[in-house]
Amino acid sequence: MKNFKRIAIANRGEVAVRIIKACEEMGLETILLHSEADINSRAYRMATKTVCIGPAPSAESYLNIEANINGALAGGADAVHPGFGFLSENADFAVACEKAGLTFIGPSAESIRLLGDKVQCKELAKKAGLPLVPGYQGENQNVDFLIEQAKKIGFPVIVKAAAGGGGRGMKLLKDESEARELIESAQREAQSAFGSPVVFLEKYLDRAKHIEFQIFGDSVGNVVHFFDRECSVQRRHQKIIEEATSPSLSEDLRRRMGEAACAIAVAGKYKGAGTVEFLLQDGEFYLLEVNTRLQVEHPVTEEVMGIDLVKMQILTAQDNYLHDLKAVRVPSGHSIECRIYAENPYLGGVPSTGLLGFAHWPEGPGRRYEYGFDAGDTITPYYDPMIAKVIVWDTDRSKAIQKMVRVLKDSVVFGVHTNIPYLLEILTHKEFVFGKMTTRFIETYFADPIKEVELSETDKKVAAEALLQLRGRSSAATNELSPWGSYWRGV
Amino acid sequence: MEMKLKIDGKDQKVSAQILQGTLWVHHNGRTFTLDVAQGRKSRKKGGAAGSSDQVLAPMPGKVTKVLVAKDTPIKMGQAVLVMEAMKMEYTLKADVDGIVEAINCIVGEQVALGKVLVKITEAK
Repeated sequence: MKNFKRIAIANRGEVAVRIIKACEEMGLETILLHSEADINSRAYRMATKTVCIGPAPSAESYLNIEANINGALAGGADAVHPGFGFLSENADFAVACEKAGLTFIGPSAESIRLLGDKVQCKELAKKAGLPLVPGYQGENQNVDFLIEQAKKIGFPVIVKAAAGGGGRGMKLLKDESEARELIESAQREAQSAFGSPVVFLEKYLDRAKHIEFQIFGDSVGNVVHFFDRECSVQRRHQKIIEEATSPSLSEDLRRRMGEAACAIAVAGKYKGAGTVEFLLQDGEFYLLEVNTRLQVEHPVTEEVMGIDLVKMQILTAQDNYLHDLKAVRVPSGHSIECRIYAENPYLGGVPSTGLLGFAHWPEGPGRRYEYGFDAGDTITPYYDPMIAKVIVWDTDRSKAIQKMVRVLKDSVVFGVHTNIPYLLEILTHKEFVFGKMTTRFIETYFADPIKEVELSETDKKVAAEALLQLRGRSSAATNELSPWGSYWRGV
Repeated sequence: MEMKLKIDGKDQKVSAQILQGTLWVHHNGRTFTLDVAQGRKSRKKGGAAGSSDQVLAPMPGKVTKVLVAKDTPIKMGQAVLVMEAMKMEYTLKADVDGIVEAINCIVGEQVALGKVLVKITEAK
């Protein structure tokens, strides 16, 4: 068994804050490994220690293995938590950590290679008897060859980065005409996001649901699952709304998918937190990929299961976590997460950056906020546009949706535009309310930018009055500079 | 900041703040902005609706690929260049048929919101 004193965090934003909170509860110190651009962030202020590992572009900081290792060693860390994204699924980073005498908080490099690389993962899945979507996963990356393969599979075909996830390097080929441009674009995005241009092809299921299982391997290799999440609401393959558990699974399907998820995790000798993603169409499920890390949407599982996955990860890395295999795990109630993106919903979601002004997250029972920035911090164009996550829990799905609508309406973010108006339209859409949404939900119903509602007469009066109050206040503050200031002070 | 305002005799809960010449208001479950810059010409926000013989940067970001050459013909809807911001690629397309008159950026350049990246002489 190991006993950590200090954990280095090779990440930023809300997930860095999440890890710091878990460490604080466990009495552990934290070292934030950050770029020059992230000095004005909550994680920077909250961490016990901070080490700057490079300039803003992630290739020179958050994706730089050597800089992260050197930073962790300089800070006196025992272990490194990679969060999600960046180096979290990079086997070379896991190896480099161990070589430097640092414990990598996550699965072994071997597991990451087996399961994290999408091509190898499919080979393993075939052996473990999991159903797969038809596709091409070979080494040949010649664009002409890939176009031929796509034709063989039959359009629509999806191109994905072999080394990553999260929608980066992922493109949908509707027909042959755009294939070349899109494959090349996917290869470039894959190179810039994951350091490898390798892509693979897969048949695009056009009315599938995205269902995933939270798996967890304890210190001695027992693997259990903590039930499912549904993340069908996606735009450009980036999840927007996630929930636990899925409203779409029968008990039988849930049992079979859970067993399949555990089977591939066992085959990959999995330790720690991971996610097995499936597509579900017409009652049949197919393995999509395995994410060998904590997932952005892990809070919804924590809410319905009453667990803390980050603490469990740290304990597992200390060889100090065992599942109680006799315990019956039952999810309770329903939890929904909305990702808050800094973007303009009225301009089709173009990124919105700048100085963050007043921000308010309305607290209350069953409400949870994960965010990385406070008023006065700057949202920079260098990284992912997700600035916060809003998570709610209630006794059933419709109550959870109701609560989320209220919470989003009462949440305030000034200085950058957010997708909150967009989220509100999704949450009240019939297909979402009925739980019938597929991965094509957004492109089907929300292809165009949402329309900005005209300001009402009351809105205009409110704005005018607010402006008066704000200007009044500021002119009061400068009163002392006016000749009358000294006069009145003397009275 | 949060404030209570009386509008037409009714109390309204409002949050409002002025940031760099823009008034941000949150009221009745939604946030909206108004340009309130004093003594300055109001700056056009966003770039989505630029004039059609120009290709503007719709966001701050990096130019990763220029797909057209100066003095070559171009068709409406043709991809002109590729930008990257927040790790996503965006392909910018021409709004009109015409000839590429000028390219005002290079690959790798970090460009500001609203910059004119490519100018097109519209075909008559």
